[in-house]
Amino acid sequence: MNYMPGTASLIEDIDKKHLVLLRDGRTLIGFLRSIDQFANLVLHQTVERIHVGKKYGDIPRGIFVVRGENVVLLGEIDLEKENDTPLQQVSIEEILEEQRVEQQTKLEAEKLKVQALKDRGLSIPRADTLDEY
Amino acid sequence: MTQKQKDWVIKVQMVQLQSENPHLDDYYYQEYYQKLEKKQTDEELLGRKNKVEFLKLVTPYIQKAEAYESVVRIEGSLGQVAVSTCFSPRRAIDAVPHGTQEQDTGTASSQRLRVLYRIEKMFLQLLEIEESQKAGPPQPHLSKPHSNQVEQLFQALKTQEQNNLEEAADGFLQVLSVRKGKALVARLVPFLSQDQAVSLLLAIMHHLPLLVRRDVADQALHMLFKPLGKCISHLTFDELLQGLQGLLLLPPGSSERPVAVVLQNQFGISLLYALLSHGEQLISLDSSLEEPNSDHTAWTNTVVLIAWEIAQMPTACLAEPLNFPSNLLPLFCHHVDKQLIQQLEAKMELAWIY
Repeated sequence: MNYMPGTASLIEDIDKKHLVLLRDGRTLIGFLRSIDQFANLVLHQTVERIHVGKKYGDIPRGIFVVRGENVVLLGEIDLEKENDTPLQQVSIEEILEEQRVEQQTKLEAEKLKVQALKDRGLSIPRADTLDEY
Repeated sequence: MTQKQKDWVIKVQMVQLQSENPHLDDYYYQEYYQKLEKKQTDEELLGRKNKVEFLKLVTPYIQKAEAYESVVRIEGSLGQVAVSTCFSPRRAIDAVPHGTQEQDTGTASSQRLRVLYRIEKMFLQLLEIEESQKAGPPQPHLSKPHSNQVEQLFQALKTQEQNNLEEAADGFLQVLSVRKGKALVARLVPFLSQDQAVSLLLAIMHHLPLLVRRDVADQALHMLFKPLGKCISHLTFDELLQGLQGLLLLPPGSSERPVAVVLQNQFGISLLYALLSHGEQLISLDSSLEEPNSDHTAWTNTVVLIAWEIAQMPTACLAEPLNFPSNLLPLFCHHVDKQLIQQLEAKMELAWIY
């Protein structure tokens, strides 16, 4: 039964499996148990999924209470199609290692870029160090 | 979640959707629902059974709290306290001015600020008037508050409370010096009675050179042409003459003739042509008066002077009018000698073609 026709509401999503993307970049997958008017979420049997390339790993986390303002988006997971992905699941240790390696390569590439720019007398202003305003 | 909890959340969300003015607060939902209803009626007309009944959002009626003051100032205290309810969160303290405010009269910036503030307030009144007109065709029992609103706005514009007539005109001119003020007046004139519109028109005419000079940055005077044009077509001959003669007087301390200044501005020249055209129309309709009276001689003098000014002006400086009335050349032919006519013809045709 649609309580609020013509509007968007999370009421119909209760007790369904959801994928939630947070503002800090984390991806949580869990059953949506409870909501409120701020779209704060209670997730049950939650798993944090880390993606690196074609691999992913799940870290079981239990129950999450997420403050609404930190949610970027969330969507229902179709349980039948859930496993129908080209992605390969690996163990937690492996995915954490992969993630560390990825971060490292990114950092080094960034360092090279900054150095190259510095040599040419340029600098990319970072948002947190911007002092124009 | 239990059903009770779900209902509670829904209730809270619905309460937030309640509004006195749904068309203002919830415009997109209202438009969406109107489109759906229209689609439904279209389908019904086509004969198809409407199997899909579109549900409308029905908000529960909950008494809304009366307006509250969000910032409370306790007597004798040094600070302010923010009060919040579930409808309105805390208000930023110090964003609400309390206590003494700086009395800063006389400085140019505060003067300008005051004019801008006046314009904003008057614009809000104008928007209300336009809204009430848009809401429906004028009904007799509704037109009274409407005309009151128009009257109020007109008084605010003319600053009639000022005892000094000079100051009153000055206030009006300050409003007209701002682009938004010009837009305000342009949108207000259609609502005014002929008398009110004429008084505004005469004030504008009287100070036309000043307005032209102040409009150099904005180039926005043309907004006023259409509404004032309508007003001009209902002017009486006396009013017309009064307006035009104001332009021919040389103001003290200035060497530039007002007509010359006016002719170089597009709005000015368009207004002038419109006035002359209307005058010619009035005269030709009124040709029953065979004997020349003082008004006619004044008119002839005015026309001759203006024609002379046009002829004097180098063609490059003549602005292109927004509208070129067809009875201008015949008008000049009646009153001006042949040589001048030829000069005028050349100038006005050329200026028009540009």
